[in-house]
Amino acid sequence: MAEIVRMPKLGLTMTEGTIIKWLKKEGEEVKQGEPLLEIQTDKVNLEEEAPASGILRKILTPEGSVVAVGQEIAIIGGESEPLPEIGKQTGAEVEEVEVEPELPAPAPQPGEKVKASPAAKRVAREYGVDLRLVTPTGPDGRVVEKDVLEYVESRKVKATPVARKIAEEKGVDLSQIGKPEGERITKQDVLEALKSASLEPQEEYRVIPWAGMRKIISDKMAKVKAEVPHFYLTLEVDMGKVLELREKLAPKIQELNGVKLSINDILIKAAARALAEYPMVNSSAGEEGIVVKNRINIGLAVALENGLIVPVVKDADKKGLAQISKETAELIKKAREGRLLPDDYCGGTFTISNLGMYDIEEFSAIINAPESAILAVGKIAKKPVVVEDEIVVRPMMKLTLSCDHRVIDGALGAKFLRRIKQLLEDPIEMLL
Amino acid sequence: MAEKLYIDALREGLREEMQRDQSVFLLGEDIGIYGGAFGVTRGLIDEFGEERVVDTPISEQAITGIAVGAAVAGMRPVVEIMFFDFLTLSMDQLINQGAKIRYMFGGKAKVPMVIRAPMGCGTGAAAQHSQSFPGVFAHFPGLKVVIPSTPHDVKGLIKAAIRDDNPVVFAEHKLLYRVKGEVPEEDYVLPLGKADIKRKGRDITIVAGSIMVIRALEAAKELEKEGIDVEVIDPRTLKPLDMRTIIDSVKKTGRVLIVEDDPLSFGWGAEVAAGIAGSEAFDYLDAPVKRLGGLDIPIPYNPNLERHAVPQVENIVEAVRELLR
Repeated sequence: MAEIVRMPKLGLTMTEGTIIKWLKKEGEEVKQGEPLLEIQTDKVNLEEEAPASGILRKILTPEGSVVAVGQEIAIIGGESEPLPEIGKQTGAEVEEVEVEPELPAPAPQPGEKVKASPAAKRVAREYGVDLRLVTPTGPDGRVVEKDVLEYVESRKVKATPVARKIAEEKGVDLSQIGKPEGERITKQDVLEALKSASLEPQEEYRVIPWAGMRKIISDKMAKVKAEVPHFYLTLEVDMGKVLELREKLAPKIQELNGVKLSINDILIKAAARALAEYPMVNSSAGEEGIVVKNRINIGLAVALENGLIVPVVKDADKKGLAQISKETAELIKKAREGRLLPDDYCGGTFTISNLGMYDIEEFSAIINAPESAILAVGKIAKKPVVVEDEIVVRPMMKLTLSCDHRVIDGALGAKFLRRIKQLLEDPIEMLL
Repeated sequence: MAEKLYIDALREGLREEMQRDQSVFLLGEDIGIYGGAFGVTRGLIDEFGEERVVDTPISEQAITGIAVGAAVAGMRPVVEIMFFDFLTLSMDQLINQGAKIRYMFGGKAKVPMVIRAPMGCGTGAAAQHSQSFPGVFAHFPGLKVVIPSTPHDVKGLIKAAIRDDNPVVFAEHKLLYRVKGEVPEEDYVLPLGKADIKRKGRDITIVAGSIMVIRALEAAKELEKEGIDVEVIDPRTLKPLDMRTIIDSVKKTGRVLIVEDDPLSFGWGAEVAAGIAGSEAFDYLDAPVKRLGGLDIPIPYNPNLERHAVPQVENIVEAVRELLR
């Protein structure tokens, strides 16, 4: 039996994945469990294993294509076994010579039923045509196959074969060459376009399509910022004792597990402790009520080349600094290498985002929903501060807590943030 | 290739099979000296004698029963029923006996018999001598049903029917007997269950059987003048029904008209239509499946009314135009 390989669902939020690389060629033999391809999800790059042994008979989605979860991506089967028919790919980009310009949609009504013959529907599916835009000529206002084909034809850029060939070779976009309706683009037109293009210094912009992680971040941030009522609290922390503590502990921890203790590790510890004392902050706004979580799992935002990801230290309240520092170091390394597994970035209950290393004094972060609060950490800077009526120089750091007001009121957020400040200014208590 | 009449090609097929196989014999009313009501068996009694061309009393039930018994006993009887209408009298022997025996005996008994009959209207023979209902027999498991439309097909198919080990209903439209067509000289047999593309076209598929093939081809000629390119598919046998050829044609043309001589209501055209709708051809349909067939009335004696009781060339032309509108 031929086995159809589908885009796996590698995380709860994953709806599509990008085919990074096929590790096997069509016609090559694969064994079950052998790495078959590399997939990029919204969060990570993963190697996907072959689900069966056989010959990789057909690759349905080329490298670089964005494919919905569950869609067929390849067929593994016997050498001469007849292959099952696979429906037309919808996610994969189809190479097309004809460029179809943006459709001037005459505002079709959503959900409007279009009377169309099955053949018209099939052809519309094949060409990705919205039947509502096609002028019906069949009886009783029915869209027939010919109508769809004429519509497709009308949207095509007309060009002579030579013009088309040159355009393809030189990378000229035929749809950008203005030509009166019905007239064909000639070789001359393409060459002129090429000439004027070379005079123009540069294109004004380029478009990076929404895909993968970028798309997820874009969708999620817009949604969260629009739907969650944020408010922000900021205070300043004297980090003197934390720095002292780190100086003392760092060599020991280094010796213990070879990792450098970071300020972030101490922040995680402090936040975990404060969350244990204020469980309402460790919660989510659920459909039916506030979901108060029993585990304290702290996420740490990690910047990547073209996005970010939040690996999670599980049960941070129950772990010591040595353990936390070891785990964060590992998670950050995996994140940068795109090797995080869903388990590494799922289940967070609170997030810390630190931009201090970029000299940021303070900032307000967008809550990492469904969590209820996020802590934005600024840089540690020596500042003149008043201590017991004297001006002294202290290493100061600003913390900004973004809260979901549905769950956390101002006073609660303030008390929680103040507790973190207390813990950082007297870190011995954290070790209790 | 010589041009021959349908009736002569049919007789030639019978003769060749009788010459080839001693177990083949004919029986029916007035098929001997008289040569059959329409003359199909004319002259065969002289060649093969009374033992192999048997005149029977007027009892269709008895004739059919004798044939079933003879077939089970190892003969290959070919029954002529004078009018297709009278097959109603053969129904019990044919359907409750002939169609069931091979199955009920676990394949150990065979029923290699053919039951031929002239059918259809257009001869002014009124309601009891004018019906076409081969589709009725296609309804019953155990029977095969053949509706040949041309001299070439009728010869090849009668030979296949005689050689088949199952009871075969062989429906000959009376108006076809006088139709001429090319018939190969050599011995040939056409498979049961294989449709024939009578005319290639790309705009619309007409599925037509028996006399309607001739009318569909005439309609196609008319429509050609309007630039409409019609494909005509003749299933040739209703059972087994070659849906594959029909589906492939509909996938190509996207439009289909089914024309039958049987009454339209519950006719075999509905079976074809359902087969198309349920196949991959569905996605290629660019217009609703359309059917033409006999009106839901007994065939009238009045020749003007009789003509309108079943599809004529002009009805087919009009239906095609409508489908392509």
